[in-house]
Amino acid sequence: MEVLLVALIALALAAGAMSSFVARNADLSVAATVFCGVFVQALPFLVLGVVVSGLIAAFVSAERLSRWLPRRPAVAVAVAGVGGAALPGCECGSVPVARRLFGEGISGAAALTFMLSAPAINPVVLVATAVAFPGQPAMVLARCVASLVTAVLMGLLWLRWGRTEWVTRRLPVAHAPDASRWTVFTEAARHDFLQAASYLVVGAAAAAALRVVVPAWVFEHLAGHLALGVLSMALLAVVLALCSEADAFVAASLTMLPVLPRLVFLVVGPAIDVKLAAMQAGMFGRPFAIRFGPTTFVVATAVATTVGLVILGGTR
Amino acid sequence: MSRGTQNTVLLLVGLSAAVMVFKGSYLHYVKPSLLPWLVAAAVVLVVLAVTAIVSDLRHGSHHPADDGHRHRSWPGWLLVVPIAFITFVVPPPIGARGATPEAVAAAQPQRRPFPPLPAGPAPAVSLPDLVMRAAADSTNSLDGRRVTVTGFTLKYPQGTDLGRVVIVCCAADAQLARINLSGPGDAEVSGYPEDTWLQLEGQLVPGTSVPSSNFIPTVAVKSVQRIDKPANTYTY
Repeated sequence: MEVLLVALIALALAAGAMSSFVARNADLSVAATVFCGVFVQALPFLVLGVVVSGLIAAFVSAERLSRWLPRRPAVAVAVAGVGGAALPGCECGSVPVARRLFGEGISGAAALTFMLSAPAINPVVLVATAVAFPGQPAMVLARCVASLVTAVLMGLLWLRWGRTEWVTRRLPVAHAPDASRWTVFTEAARHDFLQAASYLVVGAAAAAALRVVVPAWVFEHLAGHLALGVLSMALLAVVLALCSEADAFVAASLTMLPVLPRLVFLVVGPAIDVKLAAMQAGMFGRPFAIRFGPTTFVVATAVATTVGLVILGGTR
Repeated sequence: MSRGTQNTVLLLVGLSAAVMVFKGSYLHYVKPSLLPWLVAAAVVLVVLAVTAIVSDLRHGSHHPADDGHRHRSWPGWLLVVPIAFITFVVPPPIGARGATPEAVAAAQPQRRPFPPLPAGPAPAVSLPDLVMRAAADSTNSLDGRRVTVTGFTLKYPQGTDLGRVVIVCCAADAQLARINLSGPGDAEVSGYPEDTWLQLEGQLVPGTSVPSSNFIPTVAVKSVQRIDKPANTYTY
């Protein structure tokens, strides 16, 4: 506590010097603004997410959830994927929600599927995509299908190979049995916010740094080549860490690229990027994140390419 | 990080969101439409923090959840970084050189009808709207119309452009929209230094929004007026 107070006083005293230093240095000021942009944009969605996860902690037990889910695992995962459409936010909010829903066996796979599908196929994101790509409903369809397939596939992969012991981060144990629902709610929301927001800081900083370093050369080497374009757009989605409600407009502006790499950008971005990887490491644990993140990346890229070739055709 | 410190950090994150809303500096990073959500987020965070602080004071800070769970609480300190940036450093809005240099509006050359321009001798048109209409309006609403457009000067070796930074969601997706200038007012515009805010009246030169110009249209400038830098430099 004392350290915090000293740090705050130091910050207040140095505020003027720091702002003028940041303002003078062009790259630093872009990076600082991008950092604040990602963090401030994510903040309300994260708060919405932790409120939902607090409500889940207070009202939905893991047993009750598994009773709601269909018995057959594949059906349960598919239901969770479609259910993602009900959480109208972007990806930051869905990580804490999924962590609360996560449990043994089927409900674990369903929670992960929900986490991947919610930010990509909810109505807000699909409408934004339709607005960004006017006259191209196939793009909206392709995005929805590819994201849903990615989410369900990841859930099934988890059912087959996933291990609960990779999830090393434990949620705080339930309080005294007489704790009121309000206490359970506030404690869960408080815990989840502190965890997720801390790692959001790491992700936002990575996105800001990469934004200053990367685009200059990535954009130069992209043009034309399809396979190279797909791979570089997938990597760009990871690096830029855009909000899933905004990425369609960015993809639409990358006119020098064919449609297929842009679809890959839209499918990979909400599933995995630097800020999500950091948040997953924070909420689920590092052993989980180093396996889940790269797998999601490969699956999302492959699924988006396949779906794109089928729905959009490979040419333009 | 102790539970008390965590609660303080939580409170401070909520308060910095409130300060940012109050000072209006949130417009450096996100769109105005996020305002109610930011206010709600700030309120929720402050309520969560105050609830935890009050309950710890009443029951003593020894909380069951704390038992043996001291490990790995350092990430909480990371939240001091956004608190510092948002309340104390306050980075400036993205300028022309920080935005992705794509002509935003050149996105879809697929032509479609746009709503008609407002009536009047020189209606105000936002710069990205002008670029978009020039590239994709099947009704050619800009042809033969004098319009008013606002932006800042951008110096290039081949001449001076007028630009605006467009954000869709937050500062991370900032992109630059720009138009080339010609006509009688061009020389006056070129006399101003980089990043001067101007309000121009002029007319689109037909046939300049083409693939070879990367869909950056040219506007023949009739009159130039210098203006103050607006409080919110982005357009949406």
